[in-house]
Amino acid sequence: MPDRPIVEFNGVTRAYGSRLALDDLNLALEPGELTFLVGPSGAGKTTLLKLINREVRPTKGEVWIDGIAAHSLKASHVAELRRRVGVVFQDYKLLPRLTARENVALALQVGDLRVSDHEARERALDALEAVGLGDRGDALPHELSGGQQQRVAVARAVVRQPPLLIADEPTGNLDVETAWGIMDLLEDIAAFGITVLVATHNIEIVTRLQRRVLTLVDGRLVRDQPAGQTGRMAWLAWS
Amino acid sequence: MAGVVVKGRFPRRHVMAAVAKNVFRYLFQGAARNWARNFSSTAPALSSMTLLLFLSGLIGLSGFALYNLEKIESGQASVLHVYLRDDADATDVFTLRNRLALDPRVASVNYTSKADALKHAQSMPGLPQLADSSESNPFPASLDVQVKSINDVAAIDAMVRTNAAVDPVYPTSYDRGAYQRIQAVLLGVAIGGLAFVALLGFVAVTVTINSIRAAIHSRRDEVTILQLVGAPRWMVRGPFIVEGAITGSLAGAAAGVVTFALALAGIAEGSASFSQFAPGVTITVAALAATIVFAAGLGLGSGSSLLSVRRHLES
Repeated sequence: MPDRPIVEFNGVTRAYGSRLALDDLNLALEPGELTFLVGPSGAGKTTLLKLINREVRPTKGEVWIDGIAAHSLKASHVAELRRRVGVVFQDYKLLPRLTARENVALALQVGDLRVSDHEARERALDALEAVGLGDRGDALPHELSGGQQQRVAVARAVVRQPPLLIADEPTGNLDVETAWGIMDLLEDIAAFGITVLVATHNIEIVTRLQRRVLTLVDGRLVRDQPAGQTGRMAWLAWS
Repeated sequence: MAGVVVKGRFPRRHVMAAVAKNVFRYLFQGAARNWARNFSSTAPALSSMTLLLFLSGLIGLSGFALYNLEKIESGQASVLHVYLRDDADATDVFTLRNRLALDPRVASVNYTSKADALKHAQSMPGLPQLADSSESNPFPASLDVQVKSINDVAAIDAMVRTNAAVDPVYPTSYDRGAYQRIQAVLLGVAIGGLAFVALLGFVAVTVTINSIRAAIHSRRDEVTILQLVGAPRWMVRGPFIVEGAITGSLAGAAAGVVTFALALAGIAEGSASFSQFAPGVTITVAALAATIVFAAGLGLGSGSSLLSVRRHLES
């Protein structure tokens, strides 16, 4: 029996007032799949990620995340969903007063109060080591470069080993070399079995990695290009 | 991926200790640290709440004293003092006393001699000097008539005031409408006090709500990150409510101590006069009032914060 998709959108529409941010969207992401989400600004990429993380509800349709009905989830249960979704942002969103290790450990302990300080420290260091920052655990965010801060954010997102990682323009603030480093990391994470969805504008990364590409334009999924194919970035015409 | 993230062994020992430590850290320690850090924005809420609670404590104690006073007054209003002439004939006094005692509207009649009247006056605030300033005893003997219904006092007064044994200049203590006037004054004071407390309460709650809102906005990023990493709602909201509780309990403690100290000073300074002006206000009552003020502060602080969090912190 095949695995159930980690992410499933069934006829999802999301409107902000009279404007449709997403229009009748259907898609499914399988476990361990690395998928790019591309499209011009305002195409609905961020809205799609917000629907996955239940920051917004769909106006119509169903959103299933790892078997959880995000579309009908009560506010009091949203935290349970978010513990299954690692999130990486363009601006890292690290707590400036906490060290890299503490930022990573925070995600462990707020999600599960039974995690002791010792265990949190060990697992946070493991995660930092996995992203190549094993020796920078005591550094504060402002003492790290942009790429290093993004690596800390990735470590924080995966430290609980969620089945899904979503990244909103994770390389947007990074130079090319650092961006490739982050993408290598995301590929490794997908290889580990975590479903990774990356919203990006970086055409070079999308074309070279030859992973599945979802193209959104005006809230509609206009192309679902399977992995291993190189398609035209038609959406560039609108950006 | 080198050194891949390995799901740690789930802790089987010391789980409760870890939970307690984490709850304390994220709920109380974090709240206390943020409270101290945001003291400048919390100070207006703290001071207005302290003022409110202090005034509420004073108004509460005054209200309690007025309630007791009203009870005393209502009891006294149905007592008619019939003042006797200094040269009244003993037979006339005896006849009048019997006549009153047999009246079905009268509950009891007691005789107070001039000496007893003087003794009583000397225990009243302000009267000892008056009593001592005169060489002779200026206080008349009286028949103290306990009337069953306050509505019959006027009729009893009319019946006795022309009696030969009664002082023609100042025959009785009857003052038409005095009790109603006292009641009206007390009612006015009570309404005014409650309105004042309600106004102060509104101000304190509004200021506290705004200070918590400011705290939420200043920590918007932190709140967002906590929400995104899957912190449960209570962990995101709890620290703000604890912050409000800290503000409220500190305000309550300060106001309670001042209320208690003032009441204690009043009791210690003039125990005789204090018990006349504020009947029923004892050390126990003052301590109880201080405790209520503290509890009210705690409730007000956490309640206002809860309102603010519900209104300004989305899930």
